[in-house]
Amino acid sequence: MENPDSSAEQFPTILPPPVAGSLPTRTGVARERAWPWLLPMVFLLLAIGIYPLIFNIWNSFREFNPMKGRVEPVGLENWQRLFTDPRAFDSIKTTFIYVLSALIIEFILGLAIAALLNSGPWGSGLWQSMLILPMVVPPTVAAVMFKVLENPDYGPLSYYLMKMGITSMQEPLLGGNGKYAMQAVLIPDIWQWTPFFILILLAGMKALPTEPLEAAKVDGANAWQSFFGVTLPMLRPMIAVAVLFRLVDLIKVFDYIYVLTSGGPGTKTEVLSYYDYQRNFATIEWGYGSVLGLVILVIAIVVANVYVKVFKVQW
Amino acid sequence: MKETNDFREKMAISNAINSFYAGRTSRRTMLKTLGAAGVGFSAAGMMGSSRRTMAAPMRAVEAAQPDDVTAWLKDVGGQFKGTTIKVVSEETPPSRAIINLKKDLFEDITGITVDWEVVPLDQVLAKVSQDAAAQLGANDIYYFDQAWVGRFINDTFDPRELLSSKPDLAFPNYNIDDFLEPLVKHIATYGDKMIGFPCDVPIAMYFYRQDIYDEMGLKPATTMEEYMANAKAINDAMAGSGTYGTVGQMKSGHYALECDMTIYLWSHGGSVYTADGQCSLNDAAAITGVDYMRELQQYMPAAVTSYDWGGQFTAIQQGQGGQVITWGEDFPGWDDPVSSKVSGLMTPAPLPANAAQRKPEEAGFEEIPDLGHQGGSTYCLSKYSKVADAAWVFLQWATSSNTQTLASVIGGGASPMRQSTFDDPRVKEMEVVGAGTTRHFPLMLETIQNRMGTEPHLPQWPLIATDIIAVELGKLTTGGYASTQEGMDNIKKLVDEASKQ
Repeated sequence: MENPDSSAEQFPTILPPPVAGSLPTRTGVARERAWPWLLPMVFLLLAIGIYPLIFNIWNSFREFNPMKGRVEPVGLENWQRLFTDPRAFDSIKTTFIYVLSALIIEFILGLAIAALLNSGPWGSGLWQSMLILPMVVPPTVAAVMFKVLENPDYGPLSYYLMKMGITSMQEPLLGGNGKYAMQAVLIPDIWQWTPFFILILLAGMKALPTEPLEAAKVDGANAWQSFFGVTLPMLRPMIAVAVLFRLVDLIKVFDYIYVLTSGGPGTKTEVLSYYDYQRNFATIEWGYGSVLGLVILVIAIVVANVYVKVFKVQW
Repeated sequence: MKETNDFREKMAISNAINSFYAGRTSRRTMLKTLGAAGVGFSAAGMMGSSRRTMAAPMRAVEAAQPDDVTAWLKDVGGQFKGTTIKVVSEETPPSRAIINLKKDLFEDITGITVDWEVVPLDQVLAKVSQDAAAQLGANDIYYFDQAWVGRFINDTFDPRELLSSKPDLAFPNYNIDDFLEPLVKHIATYGDKMIGFPCDVPIAMYFYRQDIYDEMGLKPATTMEEYMANAKAINDAMAGSGTYGTVGQMKSGHYALECDMTIYLWSHGGSVYTADGQCSLNDAAAITGVDYMRELQQYMPAAVTSYDWGGQFTAIQQGQGGQVITWGEDFPGWDDPVSSKVSGLMTPAPLPANAAQRKPEEAGFEEIPDLGHQGGSTYCLSKYSKVADAAWVFLQWATSSNTQTLASVIGGGASPMRQSTFDDPRVKEMEVVGAGTTRHFPLMLETIQNRMGTEPHLPQWPLIATDIIAVELGKLTTGGYASTQEGMDNIKKLVDEASKQ
């Protein structure tokens, strides 16, 4: 084996001697000397990540005064308002209903379809390719598409639901008294994001070692027992990642609500992000809007961490 | 520029209509061409994101600009050659028309570039608010809904002052008195200050299906009772086949719902405020008006609670309504044979008489209770503009008599602001069935002059109208309250709290 000292002599300009008192890295470059290379990225992160966050926190202590046309300091007023605003609490509740409904349905459907595709049915390659299509459609476009599909007068989806006796002209998917308003906004979400679960879980299933499954078969396990007893536990890391990604994404849901129901009827489908949007754009309450934005951030962080702890997610 | 299918379709439509109006092709040939390109327009109408649907296609017009205007643009506008001015507006018929006209008739002559940003109404409000708060002059010309005039009173120049203080930049024979007086007073003025020039007036008008009325022996309603009776009769006879008594714009939480409510509120003697500044949305007259709206809702498609103005426009266009009281600017789109099933069938009629009416002096915050709800808007020159002179030249040109007339005759539904536009022979020529018709203009003028209703003007109004009234009404119209009284009591409470802030 070559002596490191002789190597340093051989390439003196590339590998300068370590600075006294610092730990040499694998390449021999001192940690301090890495900073110039990292600075551009650090500035970028500060500009697009940290600055908006700090600005938002600062803004949460100010409010736009429409009478004066200026933003003024209001102290803790916006934060106090948060705790006395029933609409904010309702929107948090609606957000959780939406998130849980979408997550559970998308996961179960995704898992079932992934298992089906993993069994290698005819045309499975084609189906897998087609599954990507919904995900490349911008959510707003998907929402507009479903606005047409769900229209009670000419929407095919609405037509078939009425035919099956699930909805009616008096209580259609969209409109009426809003009995199915939540379902109306969940449908495009499920259509668009179930393939995300399918693709991740399918990739996970294909990567699983075959030996445990073969051993289970030798031990006399049937297909169901193999799936729930062997495949599913081995898929745990993939499930954890997929659920976490969707969980965080769902907490921020906006497009389907904005296009399909505008949070209505009343506030039945008003999720937190839509309520926040209304504060910022419709009523021009930028300070309170910042508070709600921070609440979304906190909820996303807390929920994600709780999920990781409770389900003992291992990376 | 790459030619898209959509672009080619629109060009085909434009060429076909121009040829027809120039007498070079028959109506049949025109319709055949339009039919081939019609799908794109029908699909576009479903979006409904704009405040008033861009209904009828634009016609290319001869660059008919008076010589003195062209000379003024060269001499006065030419001084600002190379300047870029920024405009932010909602996509409304007049905005779209001026965007189409500005290149040939303004930019090419003056050398001024007009960067016109079109965004949804709520984002216009957000952008203008940001601009006003930061005083940066990011936009030079603002588009204001009439509901915002009180909010931005200190952020724009008074155009009357500019006309007198800048004689060297004055448009030849601009004639500010040519603007209809009710529009100047109720759309573009707050207190004594004029904040801009009126540019658009969607106003509630009464339209009915001539074929259905004839078939059923109905007469245009002259009272609100008759209007309800007609709606019921049509609904009873035809709802099964997909044509309902009427249609509404009752999307919960949407400003459109508040607009519909005020139509029925005002026509039954109610008002949002009384003269002492207290909300009166729960008094007996208001309850009668809102109950009327809820009764009328029974004769509408169930989907009306998801319709904003775009949804309502499409519903009528698809033949779902036997009659409606709504924005006059929708009418040219319904008359468009390319995308409408009811071309030539919808007929304008005088508004029914109010069942009761509160006097303006008994209402508050400049509110004018009457059935002809107006949702007008203004173009205003920002006080923070860094190129205010160039922007002022453009603003005068865009709101001048000739430009306004061209905006009204190229199709799209732009309503006139000036008496001279209503009287112009080019406008009169278009009083025929077809895309971009002006055959509703005489009744529109009558409504503006005699039946115009105006919402209260107070700085908090955008919040109150959308965030309180439209949301709570959304609950009320979908069974969220036990009674109208309960819902309106809550609305009054919330409105009074917001008004005090």
